[in-house]
Amino acid sequence: MSVADSRNPAVDASGTATAQRKLRAFDIGGLILTLITLVFAIIWAFPIYWGVITSLKPESQVISKTVELLPRTWTFDAYWEVFANTMIGRWYVNSLVTSLGVTAITLVTSALTAYALSQLRFPGRTVLWYLILASFMVPLTALIVNHFILMAQLSLINTWMGVILPQLIHPVVIIVYKNFFDSVPKEYREAAKMDSASEWRIFSRIYLPMNWGVTTALAIVTFIGAWNAFLWPFLAVSKPDMMNVAVGITQVNDAFGVHYARDLAAAILAALLVALLYLVFQRRVTQAIMLSAGVKG
Amino acid sequence: MSDIVLKEVSKSFGAVSVLDKVSMHIQSGEFIVFLGPSGCGKSTLLRMIAGLEDVTEGEIHLGGRRVDQLPPNERGVAMVFQNYALYPHMTVRDNMSFGLQNVGTPKPEIIRRVDDAARMLEITQLLERKPAQLSGGQRQRVAIGRAIVRDPKAFLLDEPLSNLDAGLRVRTRLELAQLHNRIRATMIFVTHDQTEAMTLATRIVVMNNRRIEQIGTPMEIYSRPATRFVAGFVGSPAMSFLPVTAVSDVGGKAAFSFAGQTPVTTSVPFAGLPTSSLTFGIRAEAALVDPNGAIEGVADVVERLGERSLIYTRLADGSTLVAEDNGVSTVQAGDPVRIAIDGNAAMVFDDAGKAYHAAA
Ligand SMILES: Nc1ncnc2c1ncn2[C@@H]1O[C@H](COP(=O)(O)OP(=O)(O)OP(=O)(O)O)[C@@H](O)[C@H]1O
Ligand SMILES: [Mg+2]
Repeated sequence: MSVADSRNPAVDASGTATAQRKLRAFDIGGLILTLITLVFAIIWAFPIYWGVITSLKPESQVISKTVELLPRTWTFDAYWEVFANTMIGRWYVNSLVTSLGVTAITLVTSALTAYALSQLRFPGRTVLWYLILASFMVPLTALIVNHFILMAQLSLINTWMGVILPQLIHPVVIIVYKNFFDSVPKEYREAAKMDSASEWRIFSRIYLPMNWGVTTALAIVTFIGAWNAFLWPFLAVSKPDMMNVAVGITQVNDAFGVHYARDLAAAILAALLVALLYLVFQRRVTQAIMLSAGVKG
Repeated sequence: MSDIVLKEVSKSFGAVSVLDKVSMHIQSGEFIVFLGPSGCGKSTLLRMIAGLEDVTEGEIHLGGRRVDQLPPNERGVAMVFQNYALYPHMTVRDNMSFGLQNVGTPKPEIIRRVDDAARMLEITQLLERKPAQLSGGQRQRVAIGRAIVRDPKAFLLDEPLSNLDAGLRVRTRLELAQLHNRIRATMIFVTHDQTEAMTLATRIVVMNNRRIEQIGTPMEIYSRPATRFVAGFVGSPAMSFLPVTAVSDVGGKAAFSFAGQTPVTTSVPFAGLPTSSLTFGIRAEAALVDPNGAIEGVADVVERLGERSLIYTRLADGSTLVAEDNGVSTVQAGDPVRIAIDGNAAMVFDDAGKAYHAAA
């Protein structure tokens, strides 16, 4: 909670504002906070706005002496150029496959691991749990050289699998799942046992469906994380046709120097899917960030 | 045929013993109620029969087969949990079908059995709903339905009525009794509500402090409690206990003096009775307010219950005797009262709590 809030000043400010408004009908403090929030929102949103309108300008109008808040001429030329001259379609496919792969495998393995840790009693359970908690402390970047050597030895460089495998390490997904499984009242498990359910049935028919909300939330954040991942996909792939979008757009340049409109159009295309996902699943995403923040905090 | 036999069953959680050598023999078709104060181990014992709790020592036999090492689903018993534990994401039909699906019952058979049980419990119109869309009483029926479809040898119910409001509790209690009459399955029912125990049970197992105090029919438990604990726990108002000051032999029967009153002659045989540290026990309905009564005291509190009144009477030594008067009692708090005790209904307890009754 606290982590999520302090990251996002808007939550803090508007929360305090409504609370105070309940106390008094007119409230100078609340008004000031709202204005501050608004200023932050504009500072935050302006670059995005600027990027979008720039991508809709003809390249010749991008660089001008005056600030032009709207294009003089509206055009999709920059986008057509990206489609025509880059492999963005192919990169999208790569991003989709690897991100979906990471999401699906992470969720399945994490849910199973979390169920075992939460519900089964086996030797080494506590040690395993502490190992997972400890692995939480190790940043992925610290292992990146090992990952590269390992993937190279497995001949997985420049393959989807090579991009996916090192990204499957998400202790936080296991931790969140375990917390949820732990909080399922034990009577459900006992009732299922009396009902002759196997562990697999208890997991797949009771525990998982009872926690669908968590699964969707975790799926969305894992997917967004994988889609936006840059460092590992950048290292693991050198062939342009195996790149994912985030890596691919950095390759959009040519001998004629920087083309701002075209580069921004590529960047916007790269972010588009995630932005749409976020809009559609806004509440779930917030929920998931709170969940993992609760674990971290 | 599906008798349940417990042989010296003990249970400890770590070093803490919660049940100590509990034995009983439950006949097939009985309605057994485990009655006792909170924390006496009723749920633990039930869960041990269900297989949800290990047996520390002793044996459990079900239908002639030793089951204490078997997993819950191989014991042929069904359990109804206090909070029902209906799977929230499944419809009522799926909830009831789940156990049958798990053992690979053919689909038409599952449908038939669920429909039958639903008809019997009058929940047919609820089959496609989710538990969250049901009232407390309906959930309770579904929980029972989930047990019935499996056609178990015994139903284990842990305080299944405690989440219902008072009116519904009484109605559901009645329905449960009817259900038992209809299906004639063995039922074990845990409660700390003595009315439920008295009305439902063919036999009551009164438990206290890790042990069984008494096993008997509701009337035995009520009129011939084996111990002072049982006598005090069952019955409302609680039995009055009065310290005995002297015992005398009146033609083989014992007469007891207490609180400076004239001795009360009872039907308890004098022979074999300890002569000291006795406590006289009498229920309110056997101690009636009567101008010609032999016992004298002062009314402390008067409770008018409508059909009768309870007069909490203070005796000379400070002990309290609860007496009964008719509903329109004229006794006021502070009034002197005279009480007639029915010696035939009296009992005494020794200092270990063992009861002495009139010869049966
Ligand atoms: N898992 C456990 N670990 C340790 N002690 C336990 C456990 N379960 C129960 N106990 C203890 O065992 C004793 C009996 O508990 P039990 O739940 O059987 O009581 P009960 O008679 O059902 O009480 P109630 O009427 O309140 O439900 C209690 O003292 C309880 O604290
Ligand atoms: Mg209990």
